[in-house]
Amino acid sequence: MTHDHKANHLLAALPDAEWLRWAPQLEAVELPLGRVLYESGVALTHIYFPTTAIVSLLYVMEDGASAEIAVVGREGLVGVSLFMGGESTPSRAVVQSAGYGFRLRAAALKEEFSNSSPVLHLLLRYTQALITQMAQTAVCNRHHTLDQQLCRWLLLSLDRLDGAELVMTQELIANMLGVRREGVTEAALKLQRAGLISYARGHITALDRAGLEARSCECYAVVKKEYDRLLPDRMAV
Amino acid sequence: MGAVLPAVGLTASPRQNHLLAGLSAADYDRVADALEAVPMRLGERLYEPGVQLRHAYFPGTAVVSLHYVTESGASAQTTGVGREGVVGIPLFMGGGTTSSSAVVHTGGHGWRMERRRLTQEFSRGDTLQKVLLRYTQALMTQITQTAACYRHHSVEQQLSSWLMATLDRMPDTEMVMTQELLGSLLGVRRESITQAACRLQEQGYIRYRRGHISVTNAQGLRGCACECYAVVKTEMARLAQPEVVR
Repeated sequence: MTHDHKANHLLAALPDAEWLRWAPQLEAVELPLGRVLYESGVALTHIYFPTTAIVSLLYVMEDGASAEIAVVGREGLVGVSLFMGGESTPSRAVVQSAGYGFRLRAAALKEEFSNSSPVLHLLLRYTQALITQMAQTAVCNRHHTLDQQLCRWLLLSLDRLDGAELVMTQELIANMLGVRREGVTEAALKLQRAGLISYARGHITALDRAGLEARSCECYAVVKKEYDRLLPDRMAV
Repeated sequence: MGAVLPAVGLTASPRQNHLLAGLSAADYDRVADALEAVPMRLGERLYEPGVQLRHAYFPGTAVVSLHYVTESGASAQTTGVGREGVVGIPLFMGGGTTSSSAVVHTGGHGWRMERRRLTQEFSRGDTLQKVLLRYTQALMTQITQTAACYRHHSVEQQLSSWLMATLDRMPDTEMVMTQELLGSLLGVRRESITQAACRLQEQGYIRYRRGHISVTNAQGLRGCACECYAVVKTEMARLAQPEVVR
């Protein structure tokens, strides 16, 4: 399962001719929790296509405070600056949910991007969807409550996993959302009391997905709708 | 509002826009006839959520805000676009529409290109494509920074960063801007803007009267801005270097 490229929606959408060129060059990789795929300002060596892992794009401030800008899972790729230009970004990519994925060397990716129009269009559409997610995160950080944001964050993560369980400490969620841990604990307790999730020893299980959607701000639906519209495979729910 | 296109707008070269200036001579000559000079008036909406974009806009002196309006009517800017950029990236990225709006917040002029011509030129894969993609990468940095900034920084820091970023896009140091509009751009209450603007004025960094803000001490104002201003400016400058494209 972990070595099935079709588990990544962008790889699955490659036309046959492209796939024949890519297959020998793709390397299956394990993506353990906390692995940094790229660091702020450092040139990227590979582009990553997660299959079962989820990667968080974070911005880390000078004082160490962080804020998650977007999540990337099996619907996407990590490393858009390789084909957009610039080779690096001021943000950081960290694995937030352990799993697997594939990677392709930077030079190979750039060559494909320049020479194959289906690849160019596929990658640009994904990037456009990613931009929507980033913009929505900015708006959400400004206007919505932590309770709403936690629901949005859980739903975005669940969409990128099989099953309803997340291995996740409250500490890590707090880092991702850029808030204090106490705030996350309080918000999670409310969701638990409402019967929407259960939380035990670093495992979060969604019990009532519809309930989470109802409690989330509109940002989850806006992002999901845009991903569904722009991307080849609908996100599995 | 309703001002006629200033004479400078009619005679200025489209190369006033940094992206158009970044095209090779041959590529520029090919697209020049497709660039239509347009006034971009304060408050003009260039696109609305979910509506098919018809033109890409390359601002010359105008500054545009890309923002999102929530269901409850609250709004927040995710990025500004001036002469360093282009409004309408979904035209070449794909999708053709966005979930956000684009509104002119500093009136001026710019140039626009019809969508079919733009996608046609983009597909040629020459300097226009490279310049547009690099700009989009820089735009992502700005949006990222906005998200982090909204989470962690004070209104005074955000206002200072916003004023500095807008100043960089303008030919002079005075902008026409109400506190009401600033509040809706930054997504905070007008009272918070008033307080922050008062503090900046007391320190002699800006002067605010009757809907005009003048920056009187840019260095001081920059000192009040959070790191976000410098991060975006540095990344914009880095991505504008031709050697970054390989």
